[in-house]
Amino acid sequence: MKTTLSRLALGCAAAALATAAQAQDKTLTISVYSFAQDQYKEALYDPFEEICGCDVVVETGNSVERMAKIEANAADPVIDMAVISTQDALALAQKGLLAELDTAKLSNFDKLYDSAKDPNGDGMAVGYTYYASSIVYRSDLLEIESWGDLLSDELAGQVALPNITGTQGPLTLMMLDRAMGGSGDYAPVISTIGEHADDIVTFYSRSSELVQLMNQQEVIAAPVGKFAWGSFKEAALPFAWADPVEGQAGGMNVMIMTKDNGNEELAYQFMDYWLSTEVQTKVAEMQVDSPANKEVVVSDEIAENLTYGADVIDNLNIMPAADIVEQREAWVEQWNTEVIQ
Amino acid sequence: MFRNTREGLALALPAAIFSTLLFLVPVGILLSEAFRFEGGWSLQGYIDFFATPLNRTVFLRTLKLGALVALTAAVIGYAAAFCIVNLGPKSRGTIFGMVVLPLMISPVARTYAWIVILGRTGIVNETITGLGLSDTPLRLLFTETAVFLGLLQLFLPLMIISLVSAMENIPRDVIPAARVLGASWLAVFFKVILPLTKEGLVIGGTLVFTGSLTAYITPAILGGSKVLMLETLLYQRVNVSNDFVSASVIAMILIVMSFSANLLLKKIASARS
Repeated sequence: MKTTLSRLALGCAAAALATAAQAQDKTLTISVYSFAQDQYKEALYDPFEEICGCDVVVETGNSVERMAKIEANAADPVIDMAVISTQDALALAQKGLLAELDTAKLSNFDKLYDSAKDPNGDGMAVGYTYYASSIVYRSDLLEIESWGDLLSDELAGQVALPNITGTQGPLTLMMLDRAMGGSGDYAPVISTIGEHADDIVTFYSRSSELVQLMNQQEVIAAPVGKFAWGSFKEAALPFAWADPVEGQAGGMNVMIMTKDNGNEELAYQFMDYWLSTEVQTKVAEMQVDSPANKEVVVSDEIAENLTYGADVIDNLNIMPAADIVEQREAWVEQWNTEVIQ
Repeated sequence: MFRNTREGLALALPAAIFSTLLFLVPVGILLSEAFRFEGGWSLQGYIDFFATPLNRTVFLRTLKLGALVALTAAVIGYAAAFCIVNLGPKSRGTIFGMVVLPLMISPVARTYAWIVILGRTGIVNETITGLGLSDTPLRLLFTETAVFLGLLQLFLPLMIISLVSAMENIPRDVIPAARVLGASWLAVFFKVILPLTKEGLVIGGTLVFTGSLTAYITPAILGGSKVLMLETLLYQRVNVSNDFVSASVIAMILIVMSFSANLLLKKIASARS
């Protein structure tokens, strides 16, 4: 009897160890933006690891580095899923590096705003966060009513614009084009910026750079993504978020899955969890990312710092990713010739 | 010193292996990218680089600012070094310590200090508007002038240190002798001091010029994207465009510029003697 019990106990222990070992063998490797990783760990990574009994390996970096890694390891993917901008997702999809998503495996898919369900129209990306883009300005010195005010005489020598190579650059072109009549051709807009180049303090690359310039009073107005608004709101100077007559520009970051990564089921489980009302609410309350899940409810105070609610999201001027991918090279070339030089 | 050359080689071997494996080989592989085109070897990367007007502007600006910084550092450096070597031992130590002090402070902190000085609400603009010289603050940041000042402040100590070392080796009686024989101070400088300190000038000039070419933080903070230099352009090529071929071309151009400056300064120095 004693021997039988010992064998049983040993068997249970071995089974438990095997399960634990198997759980630890399950690893999901994700590639994400570098910011707010502590908050993401608390709201998303740690709870998901408990649910799946797996390890989440997080790789961070700028978009160029992360895309290069996905491309370099196309034959044997080391990244299972990634979050990236719509235009970068489209560029990867055009190179055949992404898997088509089976949205039936995402139980929270129907909770998303319609524009987040298939933003690139290729079935390879699903939006998880929106961001509005408008003009932040010194409310004690001026009022901003139009995107065209950025190139006005009043702001000459005190305005910064985003560089064309960043996410905000093309959005600014789009809104300046609308302020100039809306031809849809951005070449004349770049030429106009070139004519005003001496009036523009600098062309910033990162929002943190702009926060610093505005706090040092080098710049009193500039276009920026809403995700940076928190940094301005806490500043000592009176900053305001403009509501221009042309509206706000907007963008979206999406989830993608690498082709033939062999870890699809776990990746779907993770994506679904990230899109859930629970996680999207937590992340929104932390003011890290604005929700793409329309069931998320947050207080007015928090909503003020986010791109939140159907009214706001449905009215965003979102530039199609295909336009950016197709024309970016020509824009950069013209920008380098007429603006930077 | 050694009983045979093998002992000397054995001692140098670890450092040689380390440098070869962890520096020369990776840098060689990276730079070889600059000569690759469509699977073969080619100079097409360089042709493409110089065919772009922006790249030519950035190349010439880098060369111009590097040369201007080195030249200005030499002029200020000679005056400062001459003053330092003629001080008493105690004062010399104090002043020399003050010259070296900025080298112990991070270039980031030193460069940010210029924002406080040159900004719209900085000391210079407060003085200009306070004296009524201008109604509105001048645009000083994000200009070539700001980058020039930042680089000069960053590398001037290297020139002064090199020239002080060179001047300390001038025999004490040479300058008084030249003066007694009727040479003006200008003649003393060009016919006595300059020839006797040319090695220091070559070392200082190379350090300042090379440093100005390869500095990233100062042009990035004080120049931004409106005053691109080769180093900031290289960063953009890697981190924004993921264009390693173009970045390798820029790296190779920077290396060639640095070596050329050193050879040129040595040639000028030898021609004088």
